[in-house]
Amino acid sequence: MWAGIAIGVGFFLVFGIVPTVANLVISFTNYSGLSGTPTAFTGLSNYTQLFTQQGPGFTASILDTIIFVLGVTVVQNVIGMALAHRLVNDTKTGSALRILVFFPIVLGVTVVGIVWLLLFDPFSSPAASFFGLFGVHPGFFGSNSWAMPLVITVQVWQNLGFTMAVYIGALKTIPASVYEAAMLDGVTPWQRFTRVTWPLMAPAVTVNVLFAVIGSLITYNIIYILTDGEFGTNTLGMLAFNTAFGQTADLGLGAAVTIALFVVAVAVAIPLAALLRSRERRLLA
Amino acid sequence: MQLSNPRRMRRLTTGILIALLFLVPMVYVVMISLESSQQFLAHPLVPPVPPSVGNFGSAWQQGDLGPEIVNTVIYSLSAAAISTALSLLIAFPVARHLVRWHSPIFVSFVIGLCLPLPIIPLFIESRDLGLYNNRIGYILLHVEPGLPLGVILLTAFVYSIPTELDEAAWLDGAGYMRYIVRFITPLAWPGIVITFLYSLLGVWNDIIGPVVFLSSPNLFPVSRGVYSFYSSNQSAYTLLAAAVIIVSAPIAFLFVISQRQLLRATMGFR
Repeated sequence: MWAGIAIGVGFFLVFGIVPTVANLVISFTNYSGLSGTPTAFTGLSNYTQLFTQQGPGFTASILDTIIFVLGVTVVQNVIGMALAHRLVNDTKTGSALRILVFFPIVLGVTVVGIVWLLLFDPFSSPAASFFGLFGVHPGFFGSNSWAMPLVITVQVWQNLGFTMAVYIGALKTIPASVYEAAMLDGVTPWQRFTRVTWPLMAPAVTVNVLFAVIGSLITYNIIYILTDGEFGTNTLGMLAFNTAFGQTADLGLGAAVTIALFVVAVAVAIPLAALLRSRERRLLA
Repeated sequence: MQLSNPRRMRRLTTGILIALLFLVPMVYVVMISLESSQQFLAHPLVPPVPPSVGNFGSAWQQGDLGPEIVNTVIYSLSAAAISTALSLLIAFPVARHLVRWHSPIFVSFVIGLCLPLPIIPLFIESRDLGLYNNRIGYILLHVEPGLPLGVILLTAFVYSIPTELDEAAWLDGAGYMRYIVRFITPLAWPGIVITFLYSLLGVWNDIIGPVVFLSSPNLFPVSRGVYSFYSSNQSAYTLLAAAVIIVSAPIAFLFVISQRQLLRATMGFR
């Protein structure tokens, strides 16, 4: 028993905790990663730089992050819930559509990114032709007003299958007798949803909301492929990646952004989890 | 069950909308992959008749896609298998409170879920531990990211398995490992499948790992291959579409043959 736990926890410590602590240390230095240049402790200077930075820095990316996280979480859960209700029945079309919704997850982030770049190419694409009919020629992923909604769309499109799967799993655990009882009471379909289904699905909502929030908060790969954080899509996850690896790589500053992102993620996740749990208890009581 | 007509119409409409949302992007990519670049420039939205398959040959030759697909399959299957097994070995004793530290262990994995990838220290570690630029190393480096979600999810699944079963099995003298393999694994199967799939996709979707942990081209997974193919062929849309289809085809095939199992396990369909 102990051996099993030790191996797993060992992996977690060596490849999860140790590098994060190392990151914390690096964030207090001017570490450059180049051999030959001396590394010195610089105290909080990376963090002060974070908050005082001009242009596309930490402060500016907070707004992008809020829009992205809220957009993804709300849209993904609303559509995921609707899809789950539509596709929960075990019919032929139901199963074909479920496979279809699940498919983008399997394709992987690079392929999904390229597919949407092709679909919304500003010069030659179905989207360009469609808007061309109205004499509009948006820049899509290269435009400040379009980039964020499109990036949210792609993120949701890719991950909808998971959200739907969790909701369908929860829907299938609701016993038919509960619905029959509700039917005898003569409730409308909407009342049936708000008073029966929704409370019973509270745990599934917790899982889906939490995963959507944390996932979209720390993600960068889909944004990297679609816009590289330009045009108002520079979320914290993207910024952390680009400060460490972008054109002006600054490892100390990059580590500071990563740590700040971690603090934000924990600060959002823990109260959110507590809130959702207490809601579960209230609704299931 | 007979449905009333308006209700039937509504279901039909939503069904078609869902199908369009997911089919249109894929159909478009398949279509332009079959267009010659001249046709794409003139009439991109007209279906190519007769289709030209030249893009597939060029994409296959230009990118090193074949070996890269094999690499990706090896990496993601091995890392996901190790990660899932380790998650279960932690989740079971934690869910059953068999260890004193069950609560701190669980909480630390919840925090682990929030950890952004500490990529720079990981790079230094991979170099110092001899994991840099080799297959085994790349697999081991990808075990950890799957653990937090796996532990959390499987703890919940094990929790829902009645403890009476444990007691019965222990009275029969089943060993710890034997018990997990014979009894817990089948009962927690949906959770195991989701955990496995989730960590598999983590490896499959990783675009920074291949850049940081690998330097020999023969070790590259396909996520790096497709991306660099994209960077160097940004305006060759038809070629790009063909490359996307080549790398997706094996995955799509695997998905289609396993989808019954997969959807049954994750959503409880028979």
